[in-house]
Amino acid sequence: MAGSQHSPSSNGKVGAVLVVGGGIAGMQASLDLAESGYKVYLVEAGPAIGGAMAQLDKTFPTNDCAMCTLAPRLVDCGRHPNVEKLIYSDVLALDGQPGHFRARVRKRPRSVDPARCTGCGDCSAACLVRNRAYFEPAEAEPPELDPGQLAEVDRIIAQYGAEQSSILPVLQDINATYRWLPPGAVQHVAEAIGLPLARVLRIASFYNMFSFEPRGEHVITVCTGTACHVRGSDRLTATVERELGICHSQTTSDLLFTLECVNCLGACALAPVVVIDGVTHGKVTPDRLCRLLDGCRDSKPVEAVGAPSQ
Amino acid sequence: MPRVNAIAELEGLQQAIEAERQGQRVTIGLCGGTGCLAAESAKVNQAFRDEIARRGLEDQIAFRMTGCRGFCECGPVVEIRPQEVFYVRVRPEDAAEILDGILADKPVERLLYAHPVTEEKIVHTNDIPFYKRQQRLVFRHSGLVDPTDIRDYLALGGYSALAKALREMTPEQVIAEIEKSGLRGRGGGGFPTGRKWRSTREARGEPKYVICNADEGDPGAFMDRSLLEGDPHCVVEGMIIGAYAIGAAHGVVYVRHEYPLAVKNLTIALQQARDYGFLGPNILGSNFDFDIRISRGGGAFVCGESSALIASIEGKPGEPRAKHTHMAESGLWERPTCLNNVETWGNVPLIIERGADWYASIGTRKSTGTKVFSVVGKINNTGLVEVPMGVTLREIIFEMGGGIPGGKRFKAVQTGGPSGGCLPESALDLPVDFDSLTEAGAMMGSGGMIVMDEDTCMVDLARYFLNFLRDESCGKCTACREGLEAMYQIVSDICAGRGREEHVSWLEELGQAVKDASMCALGTTAPNPVLSTLRYFRDEYEAHIREHRCPAHVCKALITFRIIPERCKACLLCNKNCPTGAVSGEKKKPQTIDQEKCIKCGACRDVCKFEAVEVQ
Repeated sequence: MAGSQHSPSSNGKVGAVLVVGGGIAGMQASLDLAESGYKVYLVEAGPAIGGAMAQLDKTFPTNDCAMCTLAPRLVDCGRHPNVEKLIYSDVLALDGQPGHFRARVRKRPRSVDPARCTGCGDCSAACLVRNRAYFEPAEAEPPELDPGQLAEVDRIIAQYGAEQSSILPVLQDINATYRWLPPGAVQHVAEAIGLPLARVLRIASFYNMFSFEPRGEHVITVCTGTACHVRGSDRLTATVERELGICHSQTTSDLLFTLECVNCLGACALAPVVVIDGVTHGKVTPDRLCRLLDGCRDSKPVEAVGAPSQ
Repeated sequence: MPRVNAIAELEGLQQAIEAERQGQRVTIGLCGGTGCLAAESAKVNQAFRDEIARRGLEDQIAFRMTGCRGFCECGPVVEIRPQEVFYVRVRPEDAAEILDGILADKPVERLLYAHPVTEEKIVHTNDIPFYKRQQRLVFRHSGLVDPTDIRDYLALGGYSALAKALREMTPEQVIAEIEKSGLRGRGGGGFPTGRKWRSTREARGEPKYVICNADEGDPGAFMDRSLLEGDPHCVVEGMIIGAYAIGAAHGVVYVRHEYPLAVKNLTIALQQARDYGFLGPNILGSNFDFDIRISRGGGAFVCGESSALIASIEGKPGEPRAKHTHMAESGLWERPTCLNNVETWGNVPLIIERGADWYASIGTRKSTGTKVFSVVGKINNTGLVEVPMGVTLREIIFEMGGGIPGGKRFKAVQTGGPSGGCLPESALDLPVDFDSLTEAGAMMGSGGMIVMDEDTCMVDLARYFLNFLRDESCGKCTACREGLEAMYQIVSDICAGRGREEHVSWLEELGQAVKDASMCALGTTAPNPVLSTLRYFRDEYEAHIREHRCPAHVCKALITFRIIPERCKACLLCNKNCPTGAVSGEKKKPQTIDQEKCIKCGACRDVCKFEAVEVQ
């Protein structure tokens, strides 16, 4: 805030401000202060001011491009005679009181003399380590699979061939074997086939059949196709939600039940249809569903019960 | 298993199989489709086999577990041939009595189908109203062949169409025959099949591919599933003929993940076809090489769209692409590809065998042949029917379908899956073919027909379809991705009692935008359910918005459950079954529902034997 120019000796306040952080907020604060006549020390830990906003494309709420907002402030901070920038520096300690304090700032070595640097960028282009975004670990981290699981995944990959067109059947078989896609398995598949992990995750997350969380011992699949909907499948999902406390794609905390909603199993004449552990049940009522769930809990084998008496 | 090395040998093989079976005067066909399996037809299967073995009748009676007969409502179904006696709801313990009936040549009365109105027992299959009006051509083998035994298919003349094509026709002639027949794609698009084959043949690029689209994502449709499970060779034969005509070396059948039995039976069929020499190198000595493999879907509805399907086979996410270049020129692996639906392929052997002129005489002028429909929902005879094109909705729903159960009133029929629309009673006399329903705001689509009665809320149905489509949208196009989400929010608000007057015009505007700006057919047809319900059932939307009332008593926010004191007999069943304890009352006095606790689940109404629970 613009205050009257008291000398430090009269009320102890110093006419300089330390702004920590050179993002948009820090830059704006620095400029406001500098324009008001204060000397600003702008400390920024990173090698440049601008902050996270420089990495954004558009900003809420006006969708203005970030650089249009940022660039004038960057330039002004850069040239303002009242702003002294301490870039690539950390604040180590503060002592004193608000209004009259000392700060210890460590400037990290940059091996470049800022007084002579013109910002031409030739050193950066010539740098041998410039294009490494990150450093690869010396050895790839082992996936979180035990040897038995690893052997199984390798067998599945070998069956279909380690190429991109095999990715879907490989993931399907892994999904069928383990009832979900363990992250270690997905990573191993990505490496074996030679695809970036992100690409494999994109494919796996596109298709509804894959689960990225362990599924329960009993998978309850409620068909939510139109014919089943018209005959009351909503009530069946509501029943499961009430009895087990889980919604679509969720698993109970004891890993006993998973609820899946599928858009049409093709058994429309038996609507509403529920498949439990691979066994199809037709014309299911909420009452019968509860009994089937109890049957699972008691570990009785689940038998297909025919249509109730017509 | 003898490999058939030359066309001439095929007839010999067919005759040999028939001769083998001469002694079996009677055939029992038990339906093994998913519907009947869920009604325990596997146990009936075992019971029959045991009983036949016990009586030593294997040489006289052939017993087969066959594909879907379509009459899923009355499963498990059994048919005795050649007498064509039809039994319904057969239990394992009935096996002995049925065998007695065969030996005494006297049908078992209590297992016959009873006419719903006259209650008269009907003996023969084709006298049953469900079957009488049907013309089962694509499904002609269902009930007769065991899908896991190629010899059943051969005994009925299977693969003769292929032999005829290879021996007597050039590829060009095969294409001409298909063009003349007027066959149009059965997956919903209705594109002339012959023209598609011709474009693929004329396109440049090797190798060429033929694909069978067995993704059948439309909820309520299970025709393709039944055909693949019950008569896979019919589809395989069609694909081989097509590949010969087009000049393709490889075939892929893309089956959705939710059809494991179809995958199983098709795998067996393909292996048997290879063993017999119908697939592989030098088919029937004609120098034509062709083989088929199966690719399984991952549970995405959008992969039923041809370019998305192909992306999925290639190991990518199933996103459609713009089709200024057709699949016929650049499809799978950027090679010429011909993609057809299961039912389309199933029609091919018929056309080659009996001729295009015969085929074109069935159906209507622009929609030739038959179509298989799955008739489901609020209907008495749920199941599959195959009828010539041009039969009316009324005939399908009321004559074959047997009308609405419980004496309820018909309200609407939804055709064409999520791409189609809802048609009211006034549209019942429209003929069903590729073009007639489009003007009315619906479409025939792949053949799914969902019947609804007075207890179905059309606004809730629109909400259901929007939910389905926004979930299945691949997300590529902003209009589809954002527009469907916005439409869903609006319709949900209406169902929850937060509807506003302007919502209806917003829906129409958004719907138009989604139609205009989407790239694939999922997006362009997504607004259809909403727009058709607005067209024909606007009054329901208005009731929801203006009067906060759901005329069908479905939308939970707008209904209350109430116990009628005069009818309540205080049996306390509702009290005990209420999951939230909302029903209370003293013993022997009428019960009441606490509206604060009631979650409108309907359990009380289900268990009440005195119809004392009413919904307002």
